[in-house]
Amino acid sequence: MPEPRSELMRGLAVFAEPPRDGHETVAAALGLPCVPDAAAYSDVFVFQLYPYASVHLGPEGMMGGGARDRVAGFWRAVGREPPAEPDHLAALLGLYAALDPPSASVESRALARGARRALLDEHLVPWVFLFLDRVEELAASTYGAWARLLRDALRAEVVGHAEATGAEPDDRVLSAHLRAAGELPDPRGEGSAALVTGLLAPARCGALLTRADLARIAGRLDLGLRAGERRYALEHLLAQDAPSVLEALARECRRQAALHEAHCTLLGHEGDVDASAPAFLSRRAIRSARLLESLAREASAELRPAAR
Amino acid sequence: MTLDDLERRVSAAREEAEARGETFYPGASRIHLAAYPPRERWNDWVELDSRSWPERVEKRYMLVPTTCFNCESACGLLAYVDRDSLQVRKFEGNPEHPGSRGRNCAKGPATINQITDPDRILFPLKRAGARGEGRWERVSWDEALDDIAARIRACLEEERHEQVMYHVGRPGEDGYTTRMLAAWGVDGHNSHTNVCSSGARAGYHWWMGMDRPSPDHANADVILLVSSHLETGHYFNPHAQRIIEGKENGAKLIVLDTRLSNTATHADFWLSPYPGSEPSIFLAIASWMIRERRYDRDFVRRWWNWQEYMEAVHDEPEAPFERFEEALGEAYASYTFDFAAGESGIDADELRAVAEVVASAGTRLATHNWRSAGAGNLGGWQVARTLTLLNALLGALATEGGTFPSAWNKFTPRPPHLPHQHPRRWNDVLWPDEYPLALMEMSFLMPHLMRDQDAFVDVYFTRVYNPVWTNPDGFSWIEMLTDERRIGQHVAMTPTWNETAYFADYVLPMGHSSERHDLTSYEQYDGQWIAFRQPVLRAARTRMGESVSDTREVNPGEVWEENEFWIELTWRIDPDGSLGIRRFFESVEQPGEKMTVDEYYRWIFEHSVPGLPEAAAAEGLAPLEYMRRYGAFEITRKVGRVYEQAIPDNELEDVRIDEVGRVYSAAEPPPSPRAPGGTKIDADSEGRRRVGVRIDGEIVRGWPTPTGKLEFWSRTVHDWGWPELAVPTYVKSHVHRQKLDSDQLPLITTFRVPVQIHTRSANAKWLDEIAHTNPLWIHPTDAARLGIARTGDLVRVETEIGHFVLKAWITEGIRPGVLACSHHMGRWKPEGHAGQRIGMMTVALDRDGSRWGLTRRKGGGPFTSSDPDTLRVWWTDVGVHQNLTHPVHPDPVSGAHCWHQAVRVLPAQPGDAFGDVSVDTARARAVYETWLELTRPASRHSPDGTRRPWWMLRPVRPERSAYELPDREAVGA
Repeated sequence: MPEPRSELMRGLAVFAEPPRDGHETVAAALGLPCVPDAAAYSDVFVFQLYPYASVHLGPEGMMGGGARDRVAGFWRAVGREPPAEPDHLAALLGLYAALDPPSASVESRALARGARRALLDEHLVPWVFLFLDRVEELAASTYGAWARLLRDALRAEVVGHAEATGAEPDDRVLSAHLRAAGELPDPRGEGSAALVTGLLAPARCGALLTRADLARIAGRLDLGLRAGERRYALEHLLAQDAPSVLEALARECRRQAALHEAHCTLLGHEGDVDASAPAFLSRRAIRSARLLESLAREASAELRPAAR
Repeated sequence: MTLDDLERRVSAAREEAEARGETFYPGASRIHLAAYPPRERWNDWVELDSRSWPERVEKRYMLVPTTCFNCESACGLLAYVDRDSLQVRKFEGNPEHPGSRGRNCAKGPATINQITDPDRILFPLKRAGARGEGRWERVSWDEALDDIAARIRACLEEERHEQVMYHVGRPGEDGYTTRMLAAWGVDGHNSHTNVCSSGARAGYHWWMGMDRPSPDHANADVILLVSSHLETGHYFNPHAQRIIEGKENGAKLIVLDTRLSNTATHADFWLSPYPGSEPSIFLAIASWMIRERRYDRDFVRRWWNWQEYMEAVHDEPEAPFERFEEALGEAYASYTFDFAAGESGIDADELRAVAEVVASAGTRLATHNWRSAGAGNLGGWQVARTLTLLNALLGALATEGGTFPSAWNKFTPRPPHLPHQHPRRWNDVLWPDEYPLALMEMSFLMPHLMRDQDAFVDVYFTRVYNPVWTNPDGFSWIEMLTDERRIGQHVAMTPTWNETAYFADYVLPMGHSSERHDLTSYEQYDGQWIAFRQPVLRAARTRMGESVSDTREVNPGEVWEENEFWIELTWRIDPDGSLGIRRFFESVEQPGEKMTVDEYYRWIFEHSVPGLPEAAAAEGLAPLEYMRRYGAFEITRKVGRVYEQAIPDNELEDVRIDEVGRVYSAAEPPPSPRAPGGTKIDADSEGRRRVGVRIDGEIVRGWPTPTGKLEFWSRTVHDWGWPELAVPTYVKSHVHRQKLDSDQLPLITTFRVPVQIHTRSANAKWLDEIAHTNPLWIHPTDAARLGIARTGDLVRVETEIGHFVLKAWITEGIRPGVLACSHHMGRWKPEGHAGQRIGMMTVALDRDGSRWGLTRRKGGGPFTSSDPDTLRVWWTDVGVHQNLTHPVHPDPVSGAHCWHQAVRVLPAQPGDAFGDVSVDTARARAVYETWLELTRPASRHSPDGTRRPWWMLRPVRPERSAYELPDREAVGA
C-alpha cells in the first residue's frame, strides 16, 4: 500500500485541540479557511461532540471506563506510554502518525502497518466517521472543512489498507468495543433509566445524539428544553411528551443509519458486513429505531384513554 | 488538491518551521506535554490577563527557568516574568526538567507567595539589644561582611578553625559550601541530616557504599514503600509521577504506613505495622525467600561478601557457597511470618501474601525508605538495611525496575579551583568520640556536646535552617544560643523569619528559588541530570541587554544569593591572599580578580558537563546561555549495572589482585568531569588504587565498599563495637511495646503534609490556607478509653521532658494503640518581636531555671499589610510546636535522632490552653545522658586507633592524620 499520510494526520490532529498561537501556520498548510476561535471550539467539542473514543464506544456513553482502558492497552501493545487521555481524537491521530517509523527495517514497517490498521479498525472507524458527519452538520466554516478533510483522509487510509490486503484472506473481525456493547435496552425489562443511558451511548443505539438534536426535537414539538446535561434534558423531554419524543428519536436513528450506510459503501464494506463497523452501527440504529417506534406506539396507546 | 499534495505541503511547512528553530505542532498531540508553552516562544509568551476578564487583555511574558527551593526534589520551575513591569507574576513547571518533567506539587507555584510575602526580610539586620531580645537595626552588607570576616580571619590566624561552623538546612548547591569550607581549612560543616535521613542512609551505606536509594519506579513490577511517598517526602513529586506510571503499567504497590495516608489508599497492599516493627516484616519475607529458594542464587554468589562473612563469623574461610546458603537459612530461620505478625500486629497470612508478591518481582523490585520508620526508631537504620536485603536477594539493584544507588543516578560536576587541602583539626562537637559510625554530624546534640566539651563556637552560621523549631529539645538550643560563652556570633542566613533567627546577631536575607544560583542533581530515575537554579530577573534583564553583575541589583530589597555572598566573604577574610584561601575564589580567566558567578558556572558548563556544550552548540548557544534559557540538562539515561561494567584496559596497569578478589592498578585514574566524593578506599601497600573486583575470572567495577561487593556482613559495624548488628537484623525500637509502661502509647511525629515544607512555608499563604494545624490522630477505641469524647477536644500529651496541649482528631485512619501528630505546624514568634505574621502564633516564653513554658498569646488571623489577602486569613489555629517537648534520642550506631515518642495522653487539665508547651531542660539533659550510655565510643572500640572508619562518607574530610585518636582526652572545639 502507499505510505501513510502521517504528516497530514498529524496536522489534522491539531484542530481537535483548543485553538492556540501557532495553529495558523498549520491551518494555512492544510488550506483551512482560518483558525477557529475558542468559542467555536467550545461549541463543537465541549458542548456538542466530545472527541473521545470512549464516549462513542463505551456502553455508558461517557469518558473513561473500559473503553478508554482498551485504547490505553493498545498504546501499550505498540510500546508506547499512554498519555493522560489516550482516547482523545488528537492523541489517536497523533499515534497513527507516529506509527510510521521513517527509517525502520522491512519487518518493523510491516509491523507498524499492521498496528496502524488495527488502530483504524479497532479505535477509529467504529466512531469517527459518524462523529465527523455530525461535526460537518453542526459546525460552520473551518471545523466543517476540517471534518470533511479528515474524513477523506481517514477513508483513504482505510481503503488503502483494504487494497493492500485485497488478495490475502481477510481475518478482520468487528471492533471489540462494538462486540462488547449491548443493544439499546428495552425499558419494559430494564427500566427507563437504562433506555436513557443507552440513547446517549452511540455504541448501543447506533446514533449520536447531541444537545443540538435535543434542542431541535424540543423546538419542533414545542416542548421545554431544560438546561443541563443531555441526560437531564432528555428525561424531561420524555416526561413532557413521551410518544412524540420517542418518535422523533426513532427518526433520528433512521437518519443516522443512512449515514452509516453511506460510509459502508464508500469504504467498500458492502461485501463484508459482519466485520464492518458502519454496517453494524447501521443495523443497530435501525433496531433502535424499531424499538423506539414500538415504545412510542405503546405510550401513545396508554395516553389515548386518558385523552378520551 | 489531492491528499498527497496536502501531505507534501504540510510536511514542507513543518520542515520550514523547524529550520527556523520553531515548533510546528504547538500542543497538537496529547502524546507530549503539550500544555506547556513551546520553548522557542519562552522569550515572548502571550497570555490573557485573568484579572482583566471579561476584557481580553494580552499580557506578554518572558519565561525564565529556575529550580524550586522548597524541598530537596529540586523540581523545575518556569518563572513568568512580566515584560512590562519586569516582575515575576507566577511559577509553573519546567517541561525541560528531566526529573520533574513539568509537573510540580503545590509548593512550587507557591514560591510566588514567598517572594511577595509582606513580612519577608529584605535587608541585613543586626541585633540592637541582648541576643533574643527582639531589637534589630538595619545595617549595610559591607558592615556585616567586614564584621563576620574579621572574626573568621581571627579564628583561622589563631588556629581556632573549629570555632567556625556552618549549619545547613535545605541543601543548596552540591558541593559549594563543602568546597568553601575545605578552602578555609575548617571542619565545620554541620547539617540537619541526623534529624532527617541519616538513619536510612546509614543502612544503605553499609550495604553499597552509597547512601541513598534511587528506585526505578516507572519500570518496576513491584514497588515497596516505607513511607507516604506518593504525597510527601523526599523527591516525592518526581517519584510519585513515576510510581503512578509503574502502577499504570501493572506494578503492584505495597505501602508500609501506620497511618491511612493518601499513599496507603493507592496501595494494593497497605500494611499498618506497629511503629518500629518494619524490619521484622522484611526479615520474615527474606527468611521465607531463603527457605523457599525464591532468590537469585547466582547474584548472591557473585556479589555478596559471603566469603568474608563465613570466615569472620563461622571461621570457615574455604566454605563453598552452598554452605553459606545453609548458614544464611539458619541465621534467619527465627524470622517467621508468625514472629513478624507478633511484632507488627499484621496477620501472618497477609505477610505471606506480600512475600509472594515481592518474590515475584525478580529484578524489578523498587524499594524506598528515607525518613519514616528509618527516622523514627532506635535501630531505624536497620529498616533500610533489611529492606535492601530483599533487593539484594533478588538481584534487583541497578536493574531496570530495581533500586539504584544514588551516585549512579546523580551527577555533580567538577568546579573550578578545587581545594587540595583538607582541614587539619578534627571537630569533636560535630564528630564526637561516642559516635564513630554516625553517618553525619551529630548536629542535634550540639547544646549537650558543647556543654560536655566546654566548647565555644566563635562564628556560627545557621543557613536556611531552624534548629530551635526543627530539632528536638529546642529550649536547650535557646539556652545555648543565648549563652555568649558558647556562641560568639550567630549569623542566621534565611529568606524568612524563623524561631532560630530570633536568637541571632545578624539576620542576613537570602533569596528564594527565583533569587539565587545553585546547581543541583538528584537521583530520581535511572539517569543523570543537572538543574540550574538562577535569579530569574537577572537572567531576564541580561536577555534584554542589561549587564547585571550582582544579584542584589535585581532582587527585592537587598536580598542576596549565597554564592556571591560566600565569594565576597572569603575575599574579605583573606583580602591579600596571605591565608591561601582567596585563590580558590579568584577568576580562572583573570587571575587575581574575583571570580564571578557567571564565570564560575560558565567554567563548569563548558568543562564538566558531558554533552552540554554540544547540545548548546546545536542551538547556537553557549553552554551557560543554554542553561540560563532551559534550566536543566539530561546527561545520560539508562545507566544500568555499573558494578558489572568491565574495567577498560587503560585503567589496568601493573595489576595486583588480592586474596579476596580486589583488583588494584598502578594506572592513574582517568580524568573525570565529576567532582570528587564518595567513599575512600585505601590503596594497596604499594600505592596502587583499587579499580574493581574480580568476579568469576572477570575484572569488573564492583561497589565502592571495602570489599568491592555488597556488604551483607559489615566488617565496619562488626569491628567498631557492634558485632551483633553486622548483618541485617532486627533491633527493638525504643517504643517497642515491651519498653513502654502500660499507660504509654507510641507517638509518630515524623509525617508531613503534602503542602508544607518543614519550617519555611509559613510565609506561603496558599499553602497555609490548605494546611495549617496538626491535631493528634487518635483511634476511637483509644479516645474512648482515655475519656476523649469528640474531635476538637483539648488533650495533654506528656513526653519524657514535658507536655504539650492540642486538639484531638478521632479517626480510624490510625492504628489502634498508636498516636500521630504531623510535622510543620506550631510556628511561633515571641511577643514583641518582628517576624512572620501569616502562619505564626504569638507566644510568651517563660523561663524559671531549667523549666520553660510557651504560652499562646495570639493565634493566626487577619492582619493589614501590603497584601490585601492577609485581611482574608480566616483561620486562627496554626497548630502546636510539639518538637520542643521531644528529648534527643541519638541512635548509638547511626547517630540519627529516633523521633518516635513514648507518651501519655489525658484530657486537658485545669489551666491547660491550646498550644501550651512545658519543658524541663534538666530532664532533657538526663534523657540525653541515658542515651549516651548506649554508645560504644571510638576511644574504647576503635580497631585501628582512629576516630572513624576512613572509608566512610564524610561531607568535609579532614587530613588523614586528623582521624587518629588523640593520646589525651579530646579537648573539643
